[in-house]
Amino acid sequence: MKPAIFDYEVATSIEHAVRLLSSSDNSKIIAGGQSLMPIINFRLLEPSLLVDITRLPDLQGIKSTLGGGISIGASTKHHELETSLLIKERFPLISDAMKHVAHLAIRNKGTIGGSLSHADPAAELPLLMLLLDAVLHITGPTGLRKISVKEFLVGALTTILEDNEILTRIDIPSLPKRTNFAFNELSQRAGDLALCAVGVTISMSSGMLGRTKKIKDARIGLMGVNDTAIRISEAENLLIGRSSLDSSIIDQVAQICTSTISPNTDLHASADFRRHLALQMTKKTLTEAWEKAQASKTSENQNKENQSEENL
Amino acid sequence: MTNKYIGSRVKRKEDPRLLTGNGRYVDDIKIVGQLHIAFYRSDHSHARICNIDTQAAKCSPGVIDVFTEKDICEYYSPVIAQSRMKNYQATVMSILAKDKVRYVGEPIVAVVAESRYAAEDAAALIAVDYEALPFITDPKVAAQLNAPKLHEELDSNILVERSFRRGDVEQAFWKPQVHIKEQFRFNRKTSVAMENRTYLANYDCTLNHLTLYSSTQVPGIIKDALSDLLNIPGNELRVIAPDVGGGFGGKTSLYPEEILVVLLARKLKKPVKWASDRLEDLTTTSQAFDELIDAEIAVDADGKILGLKAEVIGDVGAYSIYPWTAGIEPVQVISFLPGPYKIENYDAHVRAVATSKSPTGPYRGVGRPCSTFVMERLIDLASEQLDMDPKEMRLKNLVQPDEFPYKAASGIVWDKSGFVEGLNAACDAINYDELRDQQARARDEGRLFGIGISTFAELTGIGSRISASPGMPINTGTETASISIDSTGSIVARFGVASHGQGLETSLAQVVAEHLNVSIDSVRIIHGDSDAVAHSTGTYASRSAALGSGAAILATRALNVKLLKIASILLGDEEENIFIQDGFFFNKNTDKSLSLKALAKAYYSQMGSIPAELKEEIGDLSATKTYDPLWGTTSSATHVVALEIDRISLKVKISKYIVAEDCGQMINPLIVEGQVHGGVAQGIGAALFEEMVYDEQGQALSASLADYIVPAATEIPRIDIEHLDVELPPTLSGVRGMGESGTIGAPAAIANAISDALAPLDQYVTELPMTPERIFRLVQAAQNPSS
Repeated sequence: MKPAIFDYEVATSIEHAVRLLSSSDNSKIIAGGQSLMPIINFRLLEPSLLVDITRLPDLQGIKSTLGGGISIGASTKHHELETSLLIKERFPLISDAMKHVAHLAIRNKGTIGGSLSHADPAAELPLLMLLLDAVLHITGPTGLRKISVKEFLVGALTTILEDNEILTRIDIPSLPKRTNFAFNELSQRAGDLALCAVGVTISMSSGMLGRTKKIKDARIGLMGVNDTAIRISEAENLLIGRSSLDSSIIDQVAQICTSTISPNTDLHASADFRRHLALQMTKKTLTEAWEKAQASKTSENQNKENQSEENL
Repeated sequence: MTNKYIGSRVKRKEDPRLLTGNGRYVDDIKIVGQLHIAFYRSDHSHARICNIDTQAAKCSPGVIDVFTEKDICEYYSPVIAQSRMKNYQATVMSILAKDKVRYVGEPIVAVVAESRYAAEDAAALIAVDYEALPFITDPKVAAQLNAPKLHEELDSNILVERSFRRGDVEQAFWKPQVHIKEQFRFNRKTSVAMENRTYLANYDCTLNHLTLYSSTQVPGIIKDALSDLLNIPGNELRVIAPDVGGGFGGKTSLYPEEILVVLLARKLKKPVKWASDRLEDLTTTSQAFDELIDAEIAVDADGKILGLKAEVIGDVGAYSIYPWTAGIEPVQVISFLPGPYKIENYDAHVRAVATSKSPTGPYRGVGRPCSTFVMERLIDLASEQLDMDPKEMRLKNLVQPDEFPYKAASGIVWDKSGFVEGLNAACDAINYDELRDQQARARDEGRLFGIGISTFAELTGIGSRISASPGMPINTGTETASISIDSTGSIVARFGVASHGQGLETSLAQVVAEHLNVSIDSVRIIHGDSDAVAHSTGTYASRSAALGSGAAILATRALNVKLLKIASILLGDEEENIFIQDGFFFNKNTDKSLSLKALAKAYYSQMGSIPAELKEEIGDLSATKTYDPLWGTTSSATHVVALEIDRISLKVKISKYIVAEDCGQMINPLIVEGQVHGGVAQGIGAALFEEMVYDEQGQALSASLADYIVPAATEIPRIDIEHLDVELPPTLSGVRGMGESGTIGAPAAIANAISDALAPLDQYVTELPMTPERIFRLVQAAQNPSS
């Protein structure tokens, strides 16, 4: 289980990395190597050139952006996302879900850009970025382009990235005010790839001047049950505008999600079992998110209180 | 004598080394100039080899040479596991596949190169043309006499066939109150030791001597086999098992790669190493119990078992493994099926069937994880029909304390062990009645909460009267200890047994120190080396504590006789007035004393201190003794587990786990508890996670640790242990073996608890492992009874 011979170059700038990638018709980017190394050790891939992008400062770190969003360099490690106070404050959903990303040793090496570019249908990062409407910066020979995660994810282990393009940065816009969320994942063992995971966010209207609070924005995403992480817009639309959720709506939403996905059968779970998980976990996750939304107070300082109250 | 070490929680002497990363495993041993092997392995499960093209590989950079079977066949005799069993058909295994391949992963070509990288690059250039032969993957089909044969020279694919019969089974099954008939399946698993199999052979041309460093549990067996197969005199061959990172049975057999490194080191006159990677280890290390069991039990209205029947097919894979044979696992399923219960009428039949999959071999618990799973399920199924508590039904049928020795239906004789005491102790410790109340409340809330019991017995520490594998013609019944005190007064105790995680360096030092009355720090244990003693087989079958400590006691006794004679002369008094304590000899009548070190120096180095004729009689200060426990002894235990199945995820969460076990005299409770914890963890793996999945073409699908799921620390609950103190067994040290009991009891207890949890849905377990997927299917079946 040793890789075939390859060349290795360390990129000194993003442009240099793009040039190196373009210099060979069988090049691959290496950052944390947590997915790539097993693949090349099994000789499932035999790249002739590995371009190391871990020493590019532009690709590091988490920055605050105007309007309460953040911007994350693609070589930022999972563990940094997991422990970042800025993320905990602005996107507690990420902090919460990161503990499901493999094991600590892997989170210490693996990068967010690597996970997104690998596009494993059972990996957390694509789902989280899909839920948060992230915008991806992609740099190639012709410069920078920005696209949505939905456009980026093409299929299992497949993205729109060209061989000489690099995912360099991920921008996450702020969430609407009064957003609550829930995230649930099931894997065989702690740290394994998910058999199914569901993330839900619910954002309520302000309810000022005695108006009834309503769902202003709702997002439902699933992974492990489709060839990519998937948002279920039909189910989301069913929630928007509602001031209450009863079990029949929750059932209906879960049914829509389950009929939208197309799960695979593999060694660990049949398509039927994955559908069962999608149905039950959607109900559970939506219920939890709704209960949190209900429990939240109606003051203008909604967001801050959510955080202290629920220890997100 | 007061016990100072035996029974004490002595910290393991090997742990500082192992836990700080300073263990020395085979792959840590690097000899200047060592060459590396990579194999081209079959990707067909059953095919004829038409052509092998190694030309490009031979020209690849760094390659020394490339070997196929025809290049090496003249240097060795093929591997044939012999047996005295009737109806046994031996298989012939070559090192590299000859003419045809019989499982995916079978080695065909060996590339020797300057590095493993270069060897793998060259192996990737090898091209083999195959002619596909019929897949032989379903053991039921393979067992039919007209099925295509895996080994053409044999009469059929049935390598072993055996029956046990006692009493009048027809009568027992004549209209019993309860008649349970069920088919059980325990799917194939594998050992997954942390250290993959690794071998390094070093040939010293100047001395004409070969040393094999092997990650083996059985250096003695390997030495004997290699001496025969390669025709090397034993004094030119030494097999060393240095630190070995787990075995679980997977390192008890002789492997083709192991013979090849020795053969090539001799041929190339260079050190040759092969370290398997995880893919090779998962697909080529001997795999475990792949059994299909049709079983029936007849029970009267009082819950008394009237009769038991079983028809077993064991899928043993491609070859009858050396030296244990294909009989080791399947035959012991029916040897042990009646368990610790009084069953007068028994009829069981087993066939070990060759298929085009990796060979199976001994695995921790051998036979008994399967037999216990089946028997304990049958008891629970019967007790449910009788509306009797499963604990009650067990109590009625267990061999009672006054009924030992008891000859079980298969002929095994149980010496006295705490069968009933174990069941009661486990149930008391877990507060069984209160747990049943808790279950009733949980069920009222619609929760799937289950309690499972398993009670079992095993033979351990067996001596020369029973082979460790039925019919196997090698001596597994004795072990030797050789203890010596040198001219500096240092104590070295040499054993043939070989530790691969069990802590024998500590437990055997405890025994030696106790019986020589010296400090444990002054005792050095040498093990895992064929040069340590003249004959040994190694560590397997829960034997090393019982046999090793017995040999140690005999050797210390003989050595103490010598020491007393010398001390009486040096201290000037009769032997009966001399005693030894903490490494000093004292004269009861005077205040004179003498340290062991001073005694040794005086004996060896002071001319004239000991009369010449006595010195001739005593010889050096050493004693070598061999211990044979003859029939061995019974170990027994009861496991009780409480668990809950999550309604959404269908995952099993174990909330309580208790083991009450009778292992006789504990040498070191810390080590005993560690063995129980590790065994139960592995049993939880077998019950819930681990499965070696093959498709119908014989391709191993779970060939990585992402797909072959072993439980991690996060999946293992707290495990509580009750040690029983019933009656010391007939072994010399009073020790019963206990290395395997965890893996034997856990699958059955968990299968029963899952069945109990699913009882409100009228579903139960007949197959292991019970993955969330399998539980999902049972829940589905409950919801759609028609489909």
